[in-house]
Amino acid sequence: MIKIIFFCTVIALVTSPLMAKEEAEVMHWWTSGGESAAIKVLADAYEAEGGSWKDSAVAGGSNARSAAINRMIGGSPTTAALFNTSQQYHEMIAEGMLNNLDSIAIANQWDEILPKPTLDAIKVDGHFYAAPINIHMPTWFWYSKKAFRKAGIVKEPQSIDELFVVLDKLKASGVIPLALGGQKWQENLLFMAILSNVGGKQLYLDVLNKRDANTLNSPAFNKVVEMFLKLKPYVDTGSPGRNWNDTTSLVINDKAGIQVMGDWAKGEFTQARKRPNRDYGCFAGLGSDSLYIVGGDVFVFPKTDNKEQILAQEKLVETMLNPLTQIRFNRLKGSIPVRTDIDVSSMGRCAQLGSRILKDESRQVPDGSMLMESYRYGSLKDAITEVWNSRDMSTQKAVKILAQALQG
Amino acid sequence: MLSILSPTNSKLASKRGSSLQMQWGRIGIYGFLLVTALFFLLPLYVMLVTSFKGLDEIRLSSIFAMPQEFSWDYWKIAWSSACTGLECSGLKVGFWNSVKILIPSVIISVMFGAINGYALSFWKIKGANILFACLLLGAFIPYQVFIYPLIRVYAEIGIYGTLTGVVVSHVIFGMPIMTLLFRNYYSTLPLELFNAARIDGAGFFKVFFVIMLPMSTPIIIVAVIMQVTNIWNDFLIGLVFAGSDNLPMTVQLNNIVNTTTGERAYNVNMAATILTSLVPLIIYVASGRWFVRGIASGAVKG
Amino acid sequence: MNVIAIQVHLKRNSFAYLAALPMALTVFVAYMGTMFWSVRLSFSSSRMLPKDDFVGFAQYERLFNTSRWISSLENLLLIAFLFLAICFVLGFLLSVFIDQKIKAESFFRTVFLFPYAMSFIVTGLVWQWIFNPQLGVQKTVQALGWESFKFDWIVDPDMVLYTVVIAAVWQGAGLVMALLLAGLRGIDDDLWKATKIDGIPAWRVYISIILPMLRPMIITTVVLLSISIIKMYDVVVAMTGGGPGVASEVPAKFIMDNLFERANIGIATAASTVMLSTILCLIAPFIYSNYIKKQGR
Repeated sequence: MIKIIFFCTVIALVTSPLMAKEEAEVMHWWTSGGESAAIKVLADAYEAEGGSWKDSAVAGGSNARSAAINRMIGGSPTTAALFNTSQQYHEMIAEGMLNNLDSIAIANQWDEILPKPTLDAIKVDGHFYAAPINIHMPTWFWYSKKAFRKAGIVKEPQSIDELFVVLDKLKASGVIPLALGGQKWQENLLFMAILSNVGGKQLYLDVLNKRDANTLNSPAFNKVVEMFLKLKPYVDTGSPGRNWNDTTSLVINDKAGIQVMGDWAKGEFTQARKRPNRDYGCFAGLGSDSLYIVGGDVFVFPKTDNKEQILAQEKLVETMLNPLTQIRFNRLKGSIPVRTDIDVSSMGRCAQLGSRILKDESRQVPDGSMLMESYRYGSLKDAITEVWNSRDMSTQKAVKILAQALQG
Repeated sequence: MLSILSPTNSKLASKRGSSLQMQWGRIGIYGFLLVTALFFLLPLYVMLVTSFKGLDEIRLSSIFAMPQEFSWDYWKIAWSSACTGLECSGLKVGFWNSVKILIPSVIISVMFGAINGYALSFWKIKGANILFACLLLGAFIPYQVFIYPLIRVYAEIGIYGTLTGVVVSHVIFGMPIMTLLFRNYYSTLPLELFNAARIDGAGFFKVFFVIMLPMSTPIIIVAVIMQVTNIWNDFLIGLVFAGSDNLPMTVQLNNIVNTTTGERAYNVNMAATILTSLVPLIIYVASGRWFVRGIASGAVKG
Repeated sequence: MNVIAIQVHLKRNSFAYLAALPMALTVFVAYMGTMFWSVRLSFSSSRMLPKDDFVGFAQYERLFNTSRWISSLENLLLIAFLFLAICFVLGFLLSVFIDQKIKAESFFRTVFLFPYAMSFIVTGLVWQWIFNPQLGVQKTVQALGWESFKFDWIVDPDMVLYTVVIAAVWQGAGLVMALLLAGLRGIDDDLWKATKIDGIPAWRVYISIILPMLRPMIITTVVLLSISIIKMYDVVVAMTGGGPGVASEVPAKFIMDNLFERANIGIATAASTVMLSTILCLIAPFIYSNYIKKQGR
């Protein structure tokens, strides 16, 4: 494959010396309408710089990631591959399968302009191995203004206790208080929202990073689990297996009060022609010092000795992190720019709110997937779904199951 | 009461003049078949009506309701303009890729199945039984486990990410069932046929091509139908081994259908699914009779 | 056999050996090679990429401490039993009824067989809708006036497996019907005349005479259905995602998730080794007695 590309490039160089197009094959999983529009921004920017973009889209994150890994093992890697900002690609770094991006990163002062959680996820032993392109915050609270009004709720809850008051009022008014799609990853998001909002920064980090017996047996963690389980009666019976966007449409149609979902949910509201602050509201957490969970997406660049490909990789990084591209891309993707030095006043209300919170370093925490290996994170999700869906689950038993998954 | 159950009975019944009991029996049979048929058709019905509805209608109306505003648009979108990533040309690209994969894979895997079955039933090959047992066992291993080692081997011999790679994979994974079918079929053919040909001095391939193959039409039909279905519906092998230029239709179907974070156009999804299933469906409808007849001709004896 | 005899044997059958070569290659390189490779990896600490180290039974220990794996196995047992039983009974009934010289035979046959041609990527979604209490059957029946009607198996951890079985039967029963129908068509009319004269009721003929005669078909059916049970994956992913909780998880999904999404090759290969050895114990005697031993024609 590389040979063919190389060969073609040679021919292209010979026949028309002015058209030095670096072809970049990019593997990703952004196949839905909004996502496609977002990746198109990156592709257009790259082509405007004189490169040529070859799109390899495979639906489903794990499908696309394993396809990218398979291509590397098979000796014909893509130019770039999408991963989540996490530990998903750390083993590839350890095996020397990725090119490092030190020269670009240092020239562009990534150390200064990227938030610390993101930096930690892409920097291993002092070298940069991935180009982050956005920040997703996975646990926004989205709510229907109409449902709130009908239930007589005048302000957004500022604490977990206030949240339960709000949920009770919603329940009394006859809507689904908490809209949840009962799929593993969605249940996981809800748990993370409670962990960060009830537990606070230290506990969040201790539970997900240190995972020591003291933390997991502490009353504080106990309370997190108790609050999590206490949410269950506020969820409707149609929840299991429901897709997140069908769940969001419950909030859009004022059939449900609140949904905890990532910032990408905004696209659903926009598409349904709902306006922020008028029809729906968003808040990142409970209280004015709530945490901002930093997730997101990165591109990694498989190792290659092919000069053209290395040039293409560098050009990709440069264009993706260009401030203008960042704004355009993230507006469509629903995320916020990964660079904290960009003016975001042209973005939506929720995105601006997010960017403002992100500026405060004490409120940033990394997403769970950055703090542990994929397999452990997977076991944790299994445990969360087990705890959430079992009848007669006591807090004690739940704590035990979660602790076992975290430590196992 | 259950005496109506013998196939020759209806003839006898009409001769004798129909008894009331038998009438009720026939009604019972038709009733059961009809109810079961409704159950089997239910998902197809839901898919069809959904594929003609607008998204708002899908959200608001019952999944069983007929479309109020009937529209072919979603079928057109699914076929020619649904986006999978940056490519917005629908399923039609994948359709031709699938055809490219399907034809050689089916021909070669059926051919191998026939030769294997023939060799196993008529020739004395040492260790053939063990070989066959291992082959059958292999059919039970999840495909996923094969992926890593096969990628390594393919990369080594230079067929990874090529059409050849996919075809070879389909031949490998189809071999147990294909061999089973042909082995069972040939073992019902009389051994004398083979012996006579051998005495006349015909060799391995001559016996196969001149005598066995012409007698194999029914089972070849069964084998082709099964392989067309399996290969056409395959997602994993195509995704892993085809390389980015030959991705089959099912990968695009999956791209259209399985978006993780993004809106889902259920109408387009349903139309896309029906379109993707069309090739095997047509083959079933057109040759369902041959399928049963093929098996009936002794194809699947143990 | 002495050396010369072997040489003669080889010479006379040289083309047969040549023809069997692709099969031998497939078995040894693809199947056996992969099997050994994955058994080997199950004793290593491999995560995302294969590793060469040796960690003993550590992966197996972890595997059997994972409650999701245990419930996957239990679920598979229940699914296997119900799926085989229902597919078989329904398929047999359908084939017997279709064999009654009915009208529109080819229509019925096609209707029962077509699900086999469809992939679960989306039909799983449709089944999910049909079972969903707020979209499907429950809502529709309630809207017709039967307010208290409840059909919410798919959201009930104790019942969800039955919905998976229903969808799987929908796909598989037609194949059983086709195979058994083929068998019935092969049965001689004289048999019916004989039993008629003896005055044996038809249902008894079917159970005590026809069924034993269909044995080869039944064996093939069992083999094909077992393969689809062991590999059952798509339907669960598309319909329930393994939920609610872990109530409908199956081993193939466990293996798949760990192999890819969770980058945990060690435990995935341990799981597939467990599956493989179970199959070996269950199926090997079956294959032996049905395909190898009575090879005499």
